[in-house]
Amino acid sequence: MAADTTDPAEEFGSNRSWLYDTTPGFYLRKVLIWGTTLGLSTFILFPLYWMVVTAFKTTSEIQQIPPTVVPETPSLEGFRLVVESSLAAGGFDSFLGWDISSAIDIDVLLLIANSLKVAVGAGLIALVFGTIAAYVLSQQEFRGKNAIMSLLLASLMFPGTAIMVPEWELISTLNLFNSHLALILIYGAMTAPFVVWLMKGFFDDFPDSILDAARMDQCTPYESFRYVIAPMAVNSLIASFIFAFLLAWNELVFALTLLNQSKFTVPPGLLTFVQGFNTQWNVVAAASILVSLPVLAGLAYIQRYFVQGLTGGAIKG
Amino acid sequence: MTTLELDGVTKTFGAPDAGGVVAVDDVSLTVDDGEFLVLLGPSGCGKTTTLRMIGGLETPTEGVISFDGTEVNEVKARNRDVAMVFQNFALYPHMNVSQNLGFGLRRENEDRSSEEIIDRIEAVAEMLEIEGLLDNTPAALSGGQKQRVALGRAIIREPRLFLFDEPLANLDASLRKTMRTEIDELQSEVGITSVYVTHNQEEAMSIGDKIAVMNDGRLQQLGTPSEVFNEPSNQFVAQFVGSPDMNLYEGTLTENGDVYRVNVGITEFDLPSGLVQAGDDVLDVVVGFRPQDLFQSRTRQTGGPKIEADLRVVEPLGTEAILYGETEGRAIRATDTQFHDLDEDQSVTLSIAPEHIYLFDANTEELLKGRLMTEREDTGVGEVEVRDGAGAEVRDG
Ligand SMILES: Nc1ncnc2c1ncn2[C@@H]1O[C@H](COP(=O)(O)OP(=O)(O)O)[C@@H](O)[C@H]1O
Ligand SMILES: [Mg+2]
Repeated sequence: MAADTTDPAEEFGSNRSWLYDTTPGFYLRKVLIWGTTLGLSTFILFPLYWMVVTAFKTTSEIQQIPPTVVPETPSLEGFRLVVESSLAAGGFDSFLGWDISSAIDIDVLLLIANSLKVAVGAGLIALVFGTIAAYVLSQQEFRGKNAIMSLLLASLMFPGTAIMVPEWELISTLNLFNSHLALILIYGAMTAPFVVWLMKGFFDDFPDSILDAARMDQCTPYESFRYVIAPMAVNSLIASFIFAFLLAWNELVFALTLLNQSKFTVPPGLLTFVQGFNTQWNVVAAASILVSLPVLAGLAYIQRYFVQGLTGGAIKG
Repeated sequence: MTTLELDGVTKTFGAPDAGGVVAVDDVSLTVDDGEFLVLLGPSGCGKTTTLRMIGGLETPTEGVISFDGTEVNEVKARNRDVAMVFQNFALYPHMNVSQNLGFGLRRENEDRSSEEIIDRIEAVAEMLEIEGLLDNTPAALSGGQKQRVALGRAIIREPRLFLFDEPLANLDASLRKTMRTEIDELQSEVGITSVYVTHNQEEAMSIGDKIAVMNDGRLQQLGTPSEVFNEPSNQFVAQFVGSPDMNLYEGTLTENGDVYRVNVGITEFDLPSGLVQAGDDVLDVVVGFRPQDLFQSRTRQTGGPKIEADLRVVEPLGTEAILYGETEGRAIRATDTQFHDLDEDQSVTLSIAPEHIYLFDANTEELLKGRLMTEREDTGVGEVEVRDGAGAEVRDG
């Protein structure tokens, strides 16, 4: 009856508990798996859900106890206030001939512009320096190479705020207080180690024979770079850039401490809307959604490069 | 179109005194216009390094490489007009087949018209029967298809030289056989001087006009396939070329009137002095018998020495079998077509024609006597000439 099998995989398969062999076991398994998935999803998604519904509530509904799970009187009030005051701050109100008299003072466009400036700058710095370092670390043999790689990895595990005080001193010495350049440098330095690790993996895996093939195809070094290395590196470069960009986009503590309100990026900017008992939470939520949209759209578009870049899918031909 | 010449070419990686590797050691050879040279040798013997120096991917430490008499040592790879096929194909993963093929043409001449490039891509694709694959990326191709694209990338430019670095090593056995015929035909068709690297002696024999056998960075012999097979310059070449491996036994050679007396322990025989030139009275020698030249006495009279052997294993390969035996405690290998009635553990009498016996000087390992043709096989050597369909019958005799 029982097959005389010596295949370890099959033996392993036949040696299962009642969880696998019985109908109740089958359902219990399903329930456990679904329950865990549901619990985790709720934990991750509920705050996002709460932000979205809050944005569509009126101020009075937000203060209701017990809170409502679904807005009873959906309203775009929060969005209206954010958009109007941003337009006003940007001087577009007179241009459009609108009369805006909002109590709050929000300039989402400026926040986004500041954040973009800082995040793109930091991304480029991390990319340029990280890629060059990665290339050298991959291609050259020298003493202390492993130590450098370990140090870079350790710096990624280190919370940035732990070196707040020396950073403060540094920025002060460089006379860069209240400048976006300070943030660009700090964020760039914080993310460059990640870029080094990612791009070193890329260069380590880069087949020498492809470069040889390019040389035999009569490429100059520049042409090899332009037509062969660069296109093949694109995914890894995009992944590196996104990583650095997102860190800079989300970072709060340095931005809050090194900038004045006039130059705030998105995270500290949103924080200024939180004003104790007077906080208009629907405005905060609406602003949060609005500033997330451009990044979400961008990420959705380049997501596939991100995954390919991280997994090295570009090279395996 | 191009005659390739290497003169005393040496390549050392790293400082020679500080554990550097001498990958290629004083290699000199000439490949005539349109000739197909195979560089044959065990892995690590410097074949790839030699090829890369010819292509300009490495610079020789010493010596001169010249094309048509012009030294090219300092000429960059991109200016040598040489095409190379790599073992792992090295196709550009981000380009489709058509772009892979056209890339070199575009780089060669930026002003070339797109129509011309497309025409040539199509012509090459047709020649290699990959017309249907032009829009695929390399990732979507099978090994054999990648190989064809890699070949196409080389021939599309009509270069001065083709270089092949073990182009078939990554393919499975049956594909290897068909592709090797195709490469051979392709090369004869376009008539471009070629250097082909392989560690597979069978491949070398079947594809090469000439074979350069290398070992340990040094050129051992340069000759036609039959020269390398029949007159290997030394023991290494004799053992490396031919399959199964040649049987080698140490012995002595003594002058004895008109003949030379050879004693190898397992047997003793005379060689007419016309067959071998040896100076000394007594010489330590190594005697070689090719398995193909050993026959069972019952199937064929060779007129040479007889060797009693106990069979251990009979390994059938279709029409013939490899007989693994033992004689006087020494292993012996023979191939024969008459094997169906043989039992393992039975004893057989093997014999070999005196003309077919190889003799090497035991001290220098240099060849003293090669394999001569006997009257019965004036068409040539079995192993080498099988392609022409002549050698195969010889063994049935
Ligand atoms: N770039 C290199 N650096 C150091 N040693 C090398 C390099 N390329 C080849 N070698 C050494 O040179 C010798 C010959 O290598 P190679 O030409 O690749 O042999 P083959 O192609 O015959 O297998 C080997 O010992 C190899 O380790
Ligand atoms: Mg090699």
